[in-house]
Amino acid sequence: MKKFFVFLLVLVSVLMFAKSLEEGIIEVGRNLEKNGISEVRYSVWSSGDPNSVIRVQGIVEAARRINNIWSKNNIKVKITIRETRYELDFTQMYQEFLSKQPLGTAGDFLVNSYVYIASLAEEGYLLDISKYASKYSNFMADFYTTQVDAARYKGGLYGLPQDTEARPFYIRRDIAAKVGLDLIDLDKKVAEGKFTWLDVYKWAKETVNKQASEWGLIHRRGTAHPDLMQFILAFGGTLYDSKTNKLVLDVSAVYKWLMIEHVFSKEKLLPSDMMAWDWAKQVHPAIVDGKTLFDIGGTWYWTEWQTKNYYTDPKTGQTRGLTPEEVKNWFYYTLFPAGEPGKKPVTLSQPFMWMISSKAGSQNPKYAALKETYDELAFLVVAMASSSDINAIHSIISAHLPVSQQAAKLLADEKWLTDLYNLNIDLDDSVKTVLRDIVKATVHPINAKFLTDVAYMLEYTNFPPMHPMYPKLAAIFAETVDNVLRGRMTPDKAVEFVIGKINADLDLKQNILIVGQIPADWRFGD
Amino acid sequence: MVTGDVETKGRIKEIFYLGVLLALSAPILVVFVLLVISSFGNQMATNFDFSAFRFTLKNWRLLFEGRMAITGGVRENIWLHFLSTAVVAGGVAFLTTFVGALTGYAISRIKFKGRKILLLSMLLIHALPGSVLIVGVYFLYRVLMPQNLVFIRYFSFFYVILARAALEVPLSVWLMKGFFDLLPWETEWSALVDGASRFLVWRKILLPLIKPGIVAVLIFGFLAGWQDLIYVRTFLIDRTLATFIESNLETEMAYMPLLAAAATFYLLPTIVFYISSQQLLFKVYAGGIRR
Repeated sequence: MKKFFVFLLVLVSVLMFAKSLEEGIIEVGRNLEKNGISEVRYSVWSSGDPNSVIRVQGIVEAARRINNIWSKNNIKVKITIRETRYELDFTQMYQEFLSKQPLGTAGDFLVNSYVYIASLAEEGYLLDISKYASKYSNFMADFYTTQVDAARYKGGLYGLPQDTEARPFYIRRDIAAKVGLDLIDLDKKVAEGKFTWLDVYKWAKETVNKQASEWGLIHRRGTAHPDLMQFILAFGGTLYDSKTNKLVLDVSAVYKWLMIEHVFSKEKLLPSDMMAWDWAKQVHPAIVDGKTLFDIGGTWYWTEWQTKNYYTDPKTGQTRGLTPEEVKNWFYYTLFPAGEPGKKPVTLSQPFMWMISSKAGSQNPKYAALKETYDELAFLVVAMASSSDINAIHSIISAHLPVSQQAAKLLADEKWLTDLYNLNIDLDDSVKTVLRDIVKATVHPINAKFLTDVAYMLEYTNFPPMHPMYPKLAAIFAETVDNVLRGRMTPDKAVEFVIGKINADLDLKQNILIVGQIPADWRFGD
Repeated sequence: MVTGDVETKGRIKEIFYLGVLLALSAPILVVFVLLVISSFGNQMATNFDFSAFRFTLKNWRLLFEGRMAITGGVRENIWLHFLSTAVVAGGVAFLTTFVGALTGYAISRIKFKGRKILLLSMLLIHALPGSVLIVGVYFLYRVLMPQNLVFIRYFSFFYVILARAALEVPLSVWLMKGFFDLLPWETEWSALVDGASRFLVWRKILLPLIKPGIVAVLIFGFLAGWQDLIYVRTFLIDRTLATFIESNLETEMAYMPLLAAAATFYLLPTIVFYISSQQLLFKVYAGGIRR
């Protein structure tokens, strides 16, 4: 009881002293004005698919909103976004940030995968925003807690969630109907662990045997991370041990995953050269052209199939994007099924974060004297960029999941969707110009419903480990999967190969716990 | 077979040699041709699958509109990237040639203490790849860089040119020394006796005689600057065509035919520069003097 009262007291105190964003913006603006600052210049760097431009445009819009608040309160300060850099390759952007941050020439804001938080925070390149998160706790309360927690590292908070995603398991409806796979309530059966990879195998085999489609399953090419890592989790394995801060090689789960790849490839349910397929010419066309029953994909596939010309229309022979209706009518989606009875279904998310450089605003006047103020302003800019409408716009146009409850509610608002489609919303003109063709191609009630429907998957989500050795381990998995699919290794030899690779590399050996063993009596396939 | 003072090969031998040369160049030629074809297609032609291939100019239109996707993405100023690339390449070419020609002349003609060590140490520096030296170059940049962002931008160009040229200078000095070594002393003695300064002799008499050598060094310098990735990515605030292409080469998300157009665009100036200076280059013989 005493503990409860203490908790209540702390909560009430926090709420009493918690400021609204607008109050904070006014206070920071007045402080800057008092110190003779009339303009604050920032730059923002981000990366990702072409539809995720809100990752930079959100900052442009946030600056406009803050300028409006200052203007209304007669504060003669303005924020100018001097650079918006947007690239497709987020690893390159991370590396460039690493090299330029110490020079003070990197972006003031970086929007990138949460996995980079550990290394950037360790180097002192990111601003710890814990104290601002406490100061503006009312604002923070709207975020999904799990997503905020992904930005925590060694007691600090180094980012605000920008987006997240799930990795649905897509099932082609027309092919399922041909082979008699009943899709009614299948998502519930998957969620309850009643439809597992044993069933996926059964139906994939049925489909190929009946020539209902060329393949039973298609998955990603090139890398094992992140999609294929779900197999390890679906077999009850783990990737990381928080107690020792080491990665984990769960031998049993990895063996079972590789066995599935082996059996599927051997029985021609999955292409043996899957890892070498081309995304645009083979992977996506095979899925949208109905050449596979199952596909391990991501939420963003939903709009990617609409905005890219992967589908060859049999009537015209021309390639085109699918319509929202076609995507809805052709594809069913569930969680990634449990590996076997008794295990749980999974999904995997890699949230993107608004991160603030520890030197944010350093190019502005009186930086040393006003560092605290500039830091707080940088937080307020990303907080404003996290406004529910900006987050909801990003979700609908890029098919990522919203990170706050209010944004999720907006997606269910048809009037708001219509206004967004017509760009009858309060946004900066430059932002509207960038968004114009994307909203026409993506804003649709069907797409919004899809995002609402898959939001439950976040309850089953896992995050890849924020460990510096993880990319190396994932690269070994990719090589191993390719070898298994091509028939160069049996699953047990492949597991030996992985262990051998780990032991041959001192860094990996010291950072990976090898647990469990190959299950002697486990069988998969006929 | 000898006809007049020029040695010629028999027809069969000539065809044979031509065939061997073509066969050896084929992999590179095929890659370039496929790249150019892909830049005019609705899909990549790199796997020789032309079944769904359609000719289109859309990729080039999108490229010049500064877009890296059919839908979405932010607009880039591709011409600004082109200009940045040209500034870096031109700067490296000029600096490499200028320093190479001056130093090569001095080493070739003047005896001074440490001359041999200088030559050998230059070779040693040339043996080290740029990526090995970048740590030191990075720290030097941190020490020298101005604080104002506007100045940093210009300084970053200056520094990249300087750092990149420094890597090319050893080779250019050696090449230039070779060219100067083959010029007879008599060509400059008369001018020196007439009271011309060393610099005047270098500029007015010797440089015109080694024009093909200068062009060769210019080309090496230009290519080094044009294709550099590590130094421009680390130091330059602006982007070049190389960093622009590299940062958008993400196979899962990129619209590859558009990138093929960008890569073809990136190749064009190099090809033009090479072809335009080819005549002069062919006049270089082993010694480096025009015939």
